[in-house]
Amino acid sequence: MSRLEKTSRLGLSARRAGHGLRLMLLALALLPAAVFAADSPPAGTNWVFEATNHLGQWIWDTNTLDKQTCRFWKSFTIPAGAKVASAILRITVDNGYSLYLDGREIGRGSDWRTVTKYDVTRLVDPGRHSLGVEGFNDRLEAGLIFGLEIQLVDQRTIEIVSDNSWLVVPDAGRNWIARKNALTGWHPAIVVGSINHHPWEIWPFGLTTGPLLLPLVVHFWQTGWFQLSLLAACVLALWFSLWLMTQLSAQTQAQKFLRVERARIARDIHDDLGAQLTQLVLLGEVAQREQPEDSAARTQFNQVCLLARALSHGLDEVVWAVNSRRDTLRDFASYVCKYAQVFLNPTPIRCRLDAEPELPPAMFDLPLRRNLFLAAKEALNNAAKHSGATELFLRIYRAGHKLVVTVEDNGRGFDPAQLGGERNGMANMTQRMAEIAGGCEVFSQPGGGCRVVFTVPLENRAQRGWLDWLRRRPATDAGSVGVSPALEKTIDIP
Amino acid sequence: MKQTISNPPKAPVKVALVEDKPGVRESWVKLINSLPGFSCVNACASGEEALRIIPAVNPDVVLMDIFLPRMSGIECTARLKLQLPKLQILILTAVEDDELVFMALEAGADGFLLKRTTPEDLRVAMLDVLGGGAPMTSEIARRVVESFRRAGRQPKQDVHLTTREEEVLILLSKGYSNKEIASQLAIGTETVGSHLKHIYEKMHVRSRAEAVVRYMTGKA
Repeated sequence: MSRLEKTSRLGLSARRAGHGLRLMLLALALLPAAVFAADSPPAGTNWVFEATNHLGQWIWDTNTLDKQTCRFWKSFTIPAGAKVASAILRITVDNGYSLYLDGREIGRGSDWRTVTKYDVTRLVDPGRHSLGVEGFNDRLEAGLIFGLEIQLVDQRTIEIVSDNSWLVVPDAGRNWIARKNALTGWHPAIVVGSINHHPWEIWPFGLTTGPLLLPLVVHFWQTGWFQLSLLAACVLALWFSLWLMTQLSAQTQAQKFLRVERARIARDIHDDLGAQLTQLVLLGEVAQREQPEDSAARTQFNQVCLLARALSHGLDEVVWAVNSRRDTLRDFASYVCKYAQVFLNPTPIRCRLDAEPELPPAMFDLPLRRNLFLAAKEALNNAAKHSGATELFLRIYRAGHKLVVTVEDNGRGFDPAQLGGERNGMANMTQRMAEIAGGCEVFSQPGGGCRVVFTVPLENRAQRGWLDWLRRRPATDAGSVGVSPALEKTIDIP
Repeated sequence: MKQTISNPPKAPVKVALVEDKPGVRESWVKLINSLPGFSCVNACASGEEALRIIPAVNPDVVLMDIFLPRMSGIECTARLKLQLPKLQILILTAVEDDELVFMALEAGADGFLLKRTTPEDLRVAMLDVLGGGAPMTSEIARRVVESFRRAGRQPKQDVHLTTREEEVLILLSKGYSNKEIASQLAIGTETVGSHLKHIYEKMHVRSRAEAVVRYMTGKA
């Protein structure tokens, strides 16, 4: 109750003392005014009576304090086998409350002058129940007024009202609102006033209806075990993806390291061996020139120079293969073209190039480019040795997600069905392409030239990602990049 | 090729060399001097030394190593060309790295040679470049076409290849020799050579403004 309300009440009692009859008239006049002041006066004629029907007495803790929170607890039992026809609960607390039934919040109220009616029919079934009210007093007088009327189908009525059988719960905690039994520390509430008596003469005077209350349906996803197992699954998934990520990053790290290392090796070979070989060539040339013409020494020095040059040339090929800076499609195309030109230069075959312009600098990894290059080299070798052609076309282009390299000559051709031991290179080419999941086709007929077509799938790295990693994982250590015998063979000195 | 250069000039061709390794430098000097009609007038150990000495010596041809300590062969070429536009510069590389070669050509180099080249090829290349020729490989031709096409898309770029120059480059990139190109286009072999020379000049012109900024302002 607030101070303003208190003064008007004081006025009332003064008049009552002095003028008994006029007081009654005044009270009658005041009542409707108070009715209009109520927030939501319910329809119907008996609202005043209904508001106070079935209610108990005003109860509170033994001490009433300002800003006081007081917890009330009461249990009741509905006999086994009984069927509840209706259960209507009415409550108000001067100044406010939170109401719980079996631990579930039923409602809250802060307008203490109005009783709130809750229909809890669906919430009470046979068995023991507990009521919990957390009341709050702002200033001065405080009280809880309550009534629960349960009508059973067999006409019996159970009434629970606020009285001194309610217990005051001194301290919150230990889940007091849901308790079915009282604890020893709880003490009885005391009655602080009767209905329509001082200091609540004219209150409560209003009635509001709370929302319809339905039993809580607990869905399976709301159950503890489900949430727990979901959480566990999430944690497991998180852990697994973290593990995968660390593995992946370790692998990318390893690949990056490998790439850096390959670039270093390439640089070292080039800087040390390459430079010294160049020097050897130069020294050989100078020495050769200091010898008299047609001397044996001069011929031998010439041999040294030739060998050193061939070695230097072979070294370039190794450096190209090893160097990770050359792991691009564009670089591959330009290297193969250059190789073909240099290779065919001393032969009567004119080399024609037809490389797709502006090939992207997309990744073209070592195993792919090395095998494809060696296969193409084999085809060039065959053409130079056996075709007797005058012209050779080297084409490099993309078709869909494939890279196609064709080596086509206008030579004498052969019958592919009758490949002799002479053309052992064919098996070699097919095997190299199979190693990189590529294809090798030979089209030729006697007198009609020869066309060798190599195809290699070009994969999108971003698309490969995880699957590829999972697929390749067991082979990671085996090293897709190690110097294989095939690579060593590239240094072949004629 | 040997037959085409029938009358080497009477006065020996003055060759200057820029090479940082002493042993290699010595061998080159001996090798150049052993070629009939050529004389090595100067051998510099660094790009800085070359910039100081070469303008005074005024050689006909400079053989420039691409990897030099501090100032690179490419930068040295660009600076020398700014001072002596008529000077012929051949780049020497250990490995045929297209990117480096392309950069060198843009910087104003007139050609390039692999270090393991035979003395005879060296002689022919030097005579060729002095005679107004401009050797170009098919790979470089391909890159030149690409770079001009890319640059052509920029409105500010005012250096373009003529249709004929582009035709020459495309044939070259497909592996045709100068002689074959000449017969394909029904022009003289020398005309093909002069087209190539013009293309080199255009590459150089195009990159010169950029090069001036790059080499002169920042590091002068």
